[in-house]
Amino acid sequence: MLVAAQNQTTIPRGANGKPDLNGIWQAMTRANWDIEAHEARAGVLPALGALGAEPGGQGIVEGGAIPYLPTAAEKKKNNFEKRLELDPEAKCYLPGVPRATYMPYAFQIVQNPNSVMIVYEYASAYRNIYLKDPGEAPADSWMGQSYGRWDGDTFVIDVTAQNNKTWFDRSGNYHSDQLHVVERYTLVKPDVINYEATIEDPAVFSRPWKINMPLYRHLEKNARLGEFKCVEFAEEFLYGEYRKKD
Amino acid sequence: MKIKQAGGLIAASLLCSFTATGHHAFSAEFDLNKPINFKGVLTEVEFINPHSWFHIDVKGPDGKIQSWMIEAGTPNVLIRRGITKRSIPIGTEVVVDGFQAKNGTLRGSGRDLTLPDGRKLLIGSAEPDSK
Repeated sequence: MLVAAQNQTTIPRGANGKPDLNGIWQAMTRANWDIEAHEARAGVLPALGALGAEPGGQGIVEGGAIPYLPTAAEKKKNNFEKRLELDPEAKCYLPGVPRATYMPYAFQIVQNPNSVMIVYEYASAYRNIYLKDPGEAPADSWMGQSYGRWDGDTFVIDVTAQNNKTWFDRSGNYHSDQLHVVERYTLVKPDVINYEATIEDPAVFSRPWKINMPLYRHLEKNARLGEFKCVEFAEEFLYGEYRKKD
Repeated sequence: MKIKQAGGLIAASLLCSFTATGHHAFSAEFDLNKPINFKGVLTEVEFINPHSWFHIDVKGPDGKIQSWMIEAGTPNVLIRRGITKRSIPIGTEVVVDGFQAKNGTLRGSGRDLTLPDGRKLLIGSAEPDSK
């Protein structure tokens, strides 16, 4: 038994004995293109050739398919067909939760016994995680309101009050303002967090469903969180038609 | 020097003309001579800046549904008055009191909403005759 204990990798813990989630993390899935399993496919702009094509992915949805209500499934289909026009990511809008977690950009968890913050490379998105229940959020927001607490060695974050303007991915998977997300972060090895999120939205889905993926620590020497401030990259896309014509 | 000054003046006037439509005068967008007062069904509430919006469906004179957008104060102003996004359930019949857009579209600046139980909720951002 002693031998088995010595063979186990010990996860780092903070001053309060809780697992130390500090670090720069990133998912390694293809979920941002489509959270359901999908084959590689042509992109929305043929002019980009293979540069604009979308890689396939095994999907991160437990059980495979997202349980849309019938009218919602129709809306998703419409979203997919018009995704270049409708995807909030194309406009550099904030991604909401959980999309922020698995976009192809790193994020940093900053954690001490009294406060937790998650800062994302994409569009300066960030979340201040309340450690005391703040009650109902006064208004909706892009990144919602996060209330976090420990369940043993798992950090559980309850996310409410997200607006209805974000998508789950680039394929038009969407939700309403009744979205309720519960995230679970478990440090299973020093450099791996197991991330699980339960998604609930009675206006869009017939039942709650879950996504699941590992988050990997950035181990580069001097790894630092970058910035992808994309508003300027979206300006031509959003406003180019209003440019003064000579 | 003259060219530089002219350039500066043009730049400044471009800036001014842009911000004039930005946001200040009620009369830039709404018409005090077009008061609106009708009953409709609340279909959506947006608590966003610079103005919150109450979306209300009304049956028009031709029997067709007209979808109105009623402009209200900022989320901060409304919340401090005790009104939140969920204060009025979607589907509630409300009476809108306000003023229509100058260009005659189905938009208005809302003064208040009267609920089925008679309560009046003040939703406006400012009095129409102030700047």
